[in-house]
Amino acid sequence: MENTRVFVGLGSCGIAAGAQDIYDYMETELKPAGTDLEVTSCVGMCYAEPIVEIEYEGERRRYGYVDKKFADELLESVKTGTFPEKNLIAQSDEGKEYLDRQVKIVLKNCGIINPESIDEYLEADGYKALTKCVEEYKPEEVVSIVKDSGLKGRGGAGFLTGLKWSFLAGAKGDYKYLVCNADEGDPGAFMDRSVLEGDPHKVIEGMLIAAYATGAKEGVIYCRAEYPLAIKRLNIAIKAGEEKNFIGDNILGTDFSFHLHVKEGAGAFVCGEETALMASIEGKRGMPRLRPPFPANSGINKSPTNINNVETYGNVPFIILNGAESFNKYAFKNSYGTKVFALAGKIKRGGLIEVPMGLTIREIVTEIGGGTSSGRPVKAVQMGGPAGGCIPERLFDTPIDYDSINETGAIMGSGGMVVMDDSTCMVDVARYFLAFTQNESCGKCTFCRIGTKRMLEILTRITDGKGEMEDLDKLVELAEHISKTSLCGLGQLAPNPVLTTIKYFREEYEAHIKDHKCPAGVCKSLITIQVIPDKCTGCTLCARVCPVSAIEGERKGIHVIDPETCTRCGLCIEACNFDAIEVV
Amino acid sequence: MALINVKINGTDVEIEEGSTILEASKIAGYEVPTLCHAEGLEPFTSCFLCVVKIDGGRGNLVPSCATKVTDGMSVTVESDEINESRRMNLNLLLSDHSGDCVAPCTVACPSSIDIQGFLALVREGRESDAAKLIRETAPIPGALGRICPRPCETACRRNRVEESISICYMKRHISDTEIKEFGEVQLPEPASDTNKSVAIIGAGPAGMTAAYFLRLQGHSVTVFEAHAKSGGMLRYGIPYYRLTDQTLKDEFDAIEKLGVEVKYNTVIGRDMTAKHLEADYDALVIAIGAQGASSMRVEGEDLPGVYSGIDYLGQIGDGGDPDIGNKVVVVGGGNTAIDVARTAVRKGADVTVLYRRTRAEMPASSFEIDEALHEGVKIDFLAAPVKVEQSANGVVVRTIRMELGEPDASGRRRPMPVEGSEFAIEASAVISAIGQKVVTDGIIDTGVGLTRWGTIVADPHTFMTDRPGIFTCGDCQTGADIAVRAVGNARKAAYSVNQFLNGDEVTGEPEQFNSTMGALEDISEEVFKGYEKKPKVEMPLIGDKERVTTFVEIETGFSRDKAKEEAERCLECGCEAANECKLRIYSTEYGADQSYFAGDIRDFQNDHTHATIKMEVNKCINCGACVRACAEIKGFNVLAYVGRGFGTRMVSPFGRSLVDTICDGCGECVTVCPTAGIMYQKGAKPEKVEEPIKEAQKGAVK
Repeated sequence: MENTRVFVGLGSCGIAAGAQDIYDYMETELKPAGTDLEVTSCVGMCYAEPIVEIEYEGERRRYGYVDKKFADELLESVKTGTFPEKNLIAQSDEGKEYLDRQVKIVLKNCGIINPESIDEYLEADGYKALTKCVEEYKPEEVVSIVKDSGLKGRGGAGFLTGLKWSFLAGAKGDYKYLVCNADEGDPGAFMDRSVLEGDPHKVIEGMLIAAYATGAKEGVIYCRAEYPLAIKRLNIAIKAGEEKNFIGDNILGTDFSFHLHVKEGAGAFVCGEETALMASIEGKRGMPRLRPPFPANSGINKSPTNINNVETYGNVPFIILNGAESFNKYAFKNSYGTKVFALAGKIKRGGLIEVPMGLTIREIVTEIGGGTSSGRPVKAVQMGGPAGGCIPERLFDTPIDYDSINETGAIMGSGGMVVMDDSTCMVDVARYFLAFTQNESCGKCTFCRIGTKRMLEILTRITDGKGEMEDLDKLVELAEHISKTSLCGLGQLAPNPVLTTIKYFREEYEAHIKDHKCPAGVCKSLITIQVIPDKCTGCTLCARVCPVSAIEGERKGIHVIDPETCTRCGLCIEACNFDAIEVV
Repeated sequence: MALINVKINGTDVEIEEGSTILEASKIAGYEVPTLCHAEGLEPFTSCFLCVVKIDGGRGNLVPSCATKVTDGMSVTVESDEINESRRMNLNLLLSDHSGDCVAPCTVACPSSIDIQGFLALVREGRESDAAKLIRETAPIPGALGRICPRPCETACRRNRVEESISICYMKRHISDTEIKEFGEVQLPEPASDTNKSVAIIGAGPAGMTAAYFLRLQGHSVTVFEAHAKSGGMLRYGIPYYRLTDQTLKDEFDAIEKLGVEVKYNTVIGRDMTAKHLEADYDALVIAIGAQGASSMRVEGEDLPGVYSGIDYLGQIGDGGDPDIGNKVVVVGGGNTAIDVARTAVRKGADVTVLYRRTRAEMPASSFEIDEALHEGVKIDFLAAPVKVEQSANGVVVRTIRMELGEPDASGRRRPMPVEGSEFAIEASAVISAIGQKVVTDGIIDTGVGLTRWGTIVADPHTFMTDRPGIFTCGDCQTGADIAVRAVGNARKAAYSVNQFLNGDEVTGEPEQFNSTMGALEDISEEVFKGYEKKPKVEMPLIGDKERVTTFVEIETGFSRDKAKEEAERCLECGCEAANECKLRIYSTEYGADQSYFAGDIRDFQNDHTHATIKMEVNKCINCGACVRACAEIKGFNVLAYVGRGFGTRMVSPFGRSLVDTICDGCGECVTVCPTAGIMYQKGAKPEKVEEPIKEAQKGAVK
């Protein structure tokens, strides 16, 4: 039908859930019929992917959980104009819970427009902020507006963006660089990827405004090569921007010129640190160096350089277009605007959300996220990735703002929020993050290279049931030295996951050490998997799935697990239909 | 450049703008330690040893090598917090540093003899220089080279290739060769007289070693000796077929020739009191040994025909010949028991040794036991005397069989009598050699404290007793022990005595930090790859017949060629850089502990492919100085940071060997390396300067 448009969410999350197949399938049906089938990206409701939206007579209906069978229903409805009521994820109560508390500034266009179409971006007020800047404001006025907005760096450190820009604007040097840090590397974090895949022009526009404000001549978007879709869409967007003279020489007919390109990173976590990132851009090994000199004075090729995160740039067009007040009206303590979070882990509704400052963790986890996916009690959230910490459930009334989160020992970070229920072992979590940091240490500084290794070894000992109480003191001692005496944030913040878990979950550490028990039933050396005789029906399923043949039993007889052979993989627990296998 | 003012630990310093805190500290008189920073390189801040604290700053520690001073800045460069950080830093670096500073043989040697050093000199045919080198730590190599139970050889890394170097015999070879060459021991010149006097009780290995080192310091030394001759247990406890009268004369008389006065036949407690000595001399060293025999605690041990091993050997040492008849039972399993047995064999007796445990538990040196068996000594294991009775032809030893039970406090399985297993042995004499004790009657008036074992209380490091000015060393402090320990402890005691005499604080001989690759059995197989198997050179012996009938020395010594051949087998485990390695110097300074953080450690990894430069990556501390020197000074990029995390290494990229790179051997990397991670190949150092033996030949000493 002519007045119908169909959108398929083709962000990485959607594609992973099978959205590309749905797109291809619908294309064969819709194309011959002349119905518009459009690509959009992640709308943030990752839990409901694949997502298909249908616009009919000006009204958009968003359907989730679309499989081929349901796609047939939707195709049929396009023909008839009568649309199904099920799987309407935005309009449902659940959808409202998920969406109503959110305020979308950065994510406004994500999942709505076609990220590969500059025209759709323009229709959504795209590049109006840039135009406004070059036509109405002097560069220093732009800096002032951003300063007034209270926008802080969304990469995690939370430094005032406007102030940072003023350093670059005031730096001596003819050739200045602007960098967009898209080296998102925290486990469980996908904010930057989603924004770049969903609305690349917004980030580019934010960079253009920054370039205008600071006098930068060249921009680099440093994006990890593991984000091929983001890179592809960025390159499409840059090309389109150049064609329309938003990027390049004499932008919009002024004497403002700015060139932009994407630099693909090889995926080293430390390259998210700005001095390492610049070294990488220069073609060197990504290793941090001492600051000062700060990048604003001596950055890429020793030229003045400003580095902001994807989300930071993503906020800028809104601020310029609507004024600082429109942004800083969302205020809590010293934090303003919104924050994007990747809600992941054991959460019912995982996805990408954007919330105003001041919302509490509890509101995010229980209202937006709908509680745990397992239905088990929630235990903690991990914020800030390997540099962050675990916030226990009893502190869930902590509001989202930089200061309050820091007080807990975690950090705001770039937006990873991993939810844990009571089947998560906090010692194991600490060990996991430290293993990550240790692997990603660039190997330069003594404390980070060897200190984190020694911490990891201690944690491994504890999860193996071989820890001693003195190990806890040694962990804290090492943590203090590492954080006080490392060159970059990777080392300085590496102990955070350990320190916060010791602070809030010390009893779990002690249980591992003193009682040789893992209360969450995770640490394989400390658990036994056994059959509950009363519940076992002798169906033999467990024995059949066991990869090491550790389970014996006659059909219709009670089965027994040999603890010597059992590797605690847990496959039998998953397989059992009678809850007859338990971890002790 | 403008001058600015900064405060370093409270000291005002005027310095050019743009200088670093490290430079300002130097002006203020503070040597801030750094490993990664080297003159001529851009600051890099990898080691983080040079950390300091900017007063009023964020509270973190900053690297002083790269942090620039600003006008009015106040910096703390030394404090408990900073020192603790540096110590931790070194603890971490050491936990991933795989190498031996000092060779394990020297570490195992209680006298800390520079074994690697003397073997190198033997290889060059410089035995007399080697003798001098040994005497820097132990003045009696000829004696030790004959009788030492060789803890060094147990530790020798060559054991992992096939068998240890013949270290002990090499000392004897060195001493014999020197004496053959010069007719006497070559002595160093004592320092000029200090007018301080020391009295030493006992002219055994401990007393005479202390005398030697104190005399070299210029002190006036008088030794009081109960016997007619010097040597102590070396003479009166060890038979001449193992250690000849001539060797003892050569080495002990030499010490007297230095100007040490020995008053023989003077028994302290009989001829004069120790208290008297304490009053008359500026310091007193008690080195009276452990000359009392332990009792067998069996009925009949006072009967005629029952001897103590010490008395028996003592009489033999003095030229006596006690009548022991032709069928002798020796009781005990230590070296003294074996010495007694072998002596009795030479006196024509049929000898049986009774030992209450098995051979595995026997404390005597294994090779001594072998020699005894070879000479016809019989050993009856798991047998203990319970009673001695008089008989018509001598004595009857009532003996009981033993079996091994649970391990006792010493870790050895406790022998338990087997009920009803008694049997009798007819013998002409019984000689018990089951242990020695310290006879303190003569010195007890000094008021020094005694331990529950009857040994003299002393600080284990300074060897000063609980009475200031009175020191002790040797068996009377350790209990009966090996001579090489008495010698080492005596040297350490002498160091303390010298401090005391000079009015300095008595802190004892300084100990340098020593990195170790670990226990012999734990070392990676990789380390021993590529060595050709080459057994020990055997010590030539006199004929069997002569052995059992005379007291002629059994072992006849190496030829110089054979000695050289043996010295070639040395693996040279000690680090070439041990004397200048910054990691070692700072680890000593900050009291670092290599075992504080036990965990994974880098594997042994070396690259000896290049003609000029060699790498021992296992000793590298990832400071990156070599990488930067190559890039910044030479403009090459032969070396790079490779890998991530704990496994990061400074090596040639892409797994290349040095020889396959453009490295031209300029050595800039070697110059900046703070450890021995990268070095010149032997003899490849440009503009080679002839250095005196001390520096060029010496391995490192503890």
